[in-house]
Amino acid sequence: MIFIMEPLFSYKDLFWQLTFREIKARYKQSVLGYAWAILVPLLNLLVLSIVFSYVFKVPTGNVPYPIFLFVALVPWLFLVNSITSATGSIMANSSLITKVKLPREILPLTAISSKMVDLLLTCIVLMIFMVIYQIKFQPTLALIPLIFIIQLGLITGISFILSATNVFFRDIENILGVFLTIWMYLTPVLYPSELIPSNLRILFFLNPMTPIVDAYRNTIIYGKFPNIGELGYSFIFALSLLVLGWIYFRKRAKYFADVI
Amino acid sequence: MRNKVIIEFNNVSKKFKKGQKLYLKQALLDFFKPNVTEEFWALKNIDFKISKGESVGIIGVNGSGKSTILKLIAGVLTPTRGEVEVIGRIGPLIELGAGFHPELSGRDNIYLNGTILGLSKKELEEKFESIVDFAELSDFIDTPVKHYSSGMYMRLGFSIAIHINPEILLIDEILAVGDLGFQKKCIDKMNSFHSQGKTIIIISHSMDIVSTFCEKAILIDKGKIREVGKPEKVIAAYNKLIT
Repeated sequence: MIFIMEPLFSYKDLFWQLTFREIKARYKQSVLGYAWAILVPLLNLLVLSIVFSYVFKVPTGNVPYPIFLFVALVPWLFLVNSITSATGSIMANSSLITKVKLPREILPLTAISSKMVDLLLTCIVLMIFMVIYQIKFQPTLALIPLIFIIQLGLITGISFILSATNVFFRDIENILGVFLTIWMYLTPVLYPSELIPSNLRILFFLNPMTPIVDAYRNTIIYGKFPNIGELGYSFIFALSLLVLGWIYFRKRAKYFADVI
Repeated sequence: MRNKVIIEFNNVSKKFKKGQKLYLKQALLDFFKPNVTEEFWALKNIDFKISKGESVGIIGVNGSGKSTILKLIAGVLTPTRGEVEVIGRIGPLIELGAGFHPELSGRDNIYLNGTILGLSKKELEEKFESIVDFAELSDFIDTPVKHYSSGMYMRLGFSIAIHINPEILLIDEILAVGDLGFQKKCIDKMNSFHSQGKTIIIISHSMDIVSTFCEKAILIDKGKIREVGKPEKVIAAYNKLIT
């Protein structure tokens, strides 16, 4: 972790400046600006709830489907937004790459950090929903930061790999959407993990986001401890991807300015 | 102290690939075809040293490798072979306004661009007034830069760049653009940097600027150094080359 943080510490000011740039520019670009950060998830939630609690009834026990879904949807949307933004971040800042020396890592990292504002807004909406649906605020909520860090490590590792590769294969950002959607279907976001047939369980649990989504649901809705073995797998997966992704990024970064 | 070497190129070569596939779709479809990427050596075995306080002009025809050298000094490119060593903060006056966001105000962009060029937030706060004054933009500093004229844009970019107080100044043809008032400001600032003992490296097609301003010149042709020395000697070699 320390060698990743090192470029950040000496470029702390730059990190914040670039993050604020994204946030401010987005806010100024339209009147609705940050209202979209709440409207889009709510719209998603509305449509999915209608389809999966009235058309295809997904059994979620005695937990109403909308809240069941939203608890997983909030972190999932953060994943989609941050990876999408990070993948294109080097190309979006191509003029910086060719003119100034700066640690290239800062571009995908600030793309991710600028999406945290969106995450914060949707979390607030989630809390309001929890009050509306009378979900008790459990003590296991304290575990959320830990689960989030694992998810963040995973997102960062993937972002390093995709942002660097996108420089050399420009269509990656275009096909990314399809793969993220497929990944969502393979993760128990829209349905409970209990529904996964036992012969496919192992496959589904190879997906590092499955234990993470389960963990969020357990800690937020049911007040249960997350499955340590499964979450541990996600942790190791995320850590490896983070380290390998960063090493790969560093190697490729030397040649960004050659091809941009 | 004046003779301390602060830029050194040690047997530096830089290769670029031409005809690279930049799309996954292309790369996959062409997977079975023979590889048609060509290699192009922009620089071959470049050796030179620049000492602190020198003002050096790099000349050569278009495509000779001058910009590549500048980008290697700036740290934007990595050498394929050899080592580039640069000691000191670089002020790249190459294409001003790096990182400017059109929706943000001049004020916001000063902080953004200044941080990108290496200043801390504190240093920027201290220099803010001076930057705005030099650019003569105090009335417009809170307007989004998308509303600036190209002249205002350049004045702002230049003002920020010179305020970062670099030890090494890199200048690449920006003197060719901008009105006369702006060009005069550039030259005045360069003179004052020079008298402060800072190192200046200029790429220019204007032999006037190189002969009046530089103590030393380097002639690059087809990626190799042809001549190094006093400007008159090097310019003469350049003239021979192009006839």
